[in-house]
Amino acid sequence: MTQPQPTQPHDTQWPRWEVFKQDSEKRPYQAIGSVHAGDPDHALVTARNVFVRRPAAVSLWAVREADILTATPQELVSTPDVLGVTGVAGLYHVGIKKSHKRSMTFVDLVGAVQATGPGDALGQAHEQHPDALAWLVFPDAAKVATDPDPGTVESWFAPATEKTYKQQQYYGTIGRHVGELKRSGQMPGRVNEHPHVGDQPAVKHNEEPVK
Amino acid sequence: MTAPTTTVTELNAAQTAALIRKLTALADDEIILAHRDGEWTGHAPILEEDIALANIAQDELGHAGMYLELRRELDGSDPDRLAMFRDAAEYTNTRFVELPKGDWAYTMLRQFMYDAYEALWLEAAQQSTYAPLAEVAAKAVREEKFHVQHTALWVERLSLGTPESTQRTQTALADLWPHAAQLFQPLEGEDELVKAGIIPNIAGVRSRWEALMVKHLQDKCGLRMSREAFPGPARENHTEHLAPLLAEMQQVARQHPDAEVW
Repeated sequence: MTQPQPTQPHDTQWPRWEVFKQDSEKRPYQAIGSVHAGDPDHALVTARNVFVRRPAAVSLWAVREADILTATPQELVSTPDVLGVTGVAGLYHVGIKKSHKRSMTFVDLVGAVQATGPGDALGQAHEQHPDALAWLVFPDAAKVATDPDPGTVESWFAPATEKTYKQQQYYGTIGRHVGELKRSGQMPGRVNEHPHVGDQPAVKHNEEPVK
Repeated sequence: MTAPTTTVTELNAAQTAALIRKLTALADDEIILAHRDGEWTGHAPILEEDIALANIAQDELGHAGMYLELRRELDGSDPDRLAMFRDAAEYTNTRFVELPKGDWAYTMLRQFMYDAYEALWLEAAQQSTYAPLAEVAAKAVREEKFHVQHTALWVERLSLGTPESTQRTQTALADLWPHAAQLFQPLEGEDELVKAGIIPNIAGVRSRWEALMVKHLQDKCGLRMSREAFPGPARENHTEHLAPLLAEMQQVARQHPDAEVW
């Protein structure tokens, strides 16, 4: 595990926390980005504000950057010592990056392993998922999680389902989540081709769309 | 508020006038506080808090929109016109929300005090015998319950942080406390709405709010609290700070009254 770094004189930021979001009970937690925060509770409220004002979620985890060990296949070749990083034995969560395609999420948590330390957990992750583009492990004890009680879900996550969106490409378009529009066949194949206000094109193009 | 046994479908003329007054006052507090919060955009201590406060401000504006939509159902008034084309003398927000944003401690403490008040009011208003208000309250109370967690967290950390942050939070509390009383002053005709179960009894909200303030600010955060009750002026009576705020907030709407897309 990475040792706590001495504070850099030019860096006045608070510790960085990686945020994992679960969209629904049936979905895996996914890494969605990071926040700077002074403590675990602060990391969670900040993560809620930054990442789930509108997107669907039922739970958030935050894990301090220093508690996460990661490697890519290239790093395993160049610095194999990473598999020997020692730390606390116990349950480690395993995340893997499977694709370069996703724009919002990068790593899915795919399970947990009992390990003697972070290096061991990373080695097990590598064995179980040899084709991954990156592996990520952290001890279960290092995570902080939002309360699963109905009150928290209701106040932190439920309001998002009723929020409308403004189209990034055309500020005037207010509507439902883009995924919802796509599923109901109301969105063009590429989001930025033909923005609409209601069922009217927002912008009149003079030429035919490029094929 | 006692559990309603009936549903109010027809408001009499006096109730309608009083409810319009109440909805407008609720909305005005939200609009003005949201604008003060919005003044932090690009200036908050860290990017994450910049985003968080903008979220809170947008939620408050959303609640204002809901209150003014309820008013529209009663008198046909246009929420955008009410927000953007009334002068300071016509606004009925409290001084509490119009005072300049101050430092981060002042902003977080004011927001905490306000969120707690609004969450408690909305919690009670869910029992309203006037179904449209009960619906709005059920929606808005969820967001307020999240806000209050965020702002309570900040007030705690600032109060128990460094000597400077403690001092700033203590100063903010001394400045804000007398003004908070205005939030709890019943408006003209409010009694009749309470009797009909349309809105919560503000005195009950106040006692729950004060208990919550003592628990958090004094017991948890170690701040010194004044227990003095301040009557506060009427809501039409503003400080010199409201007019410049409105001038900035309403500038674009008034320059382009025919604009169709915002």
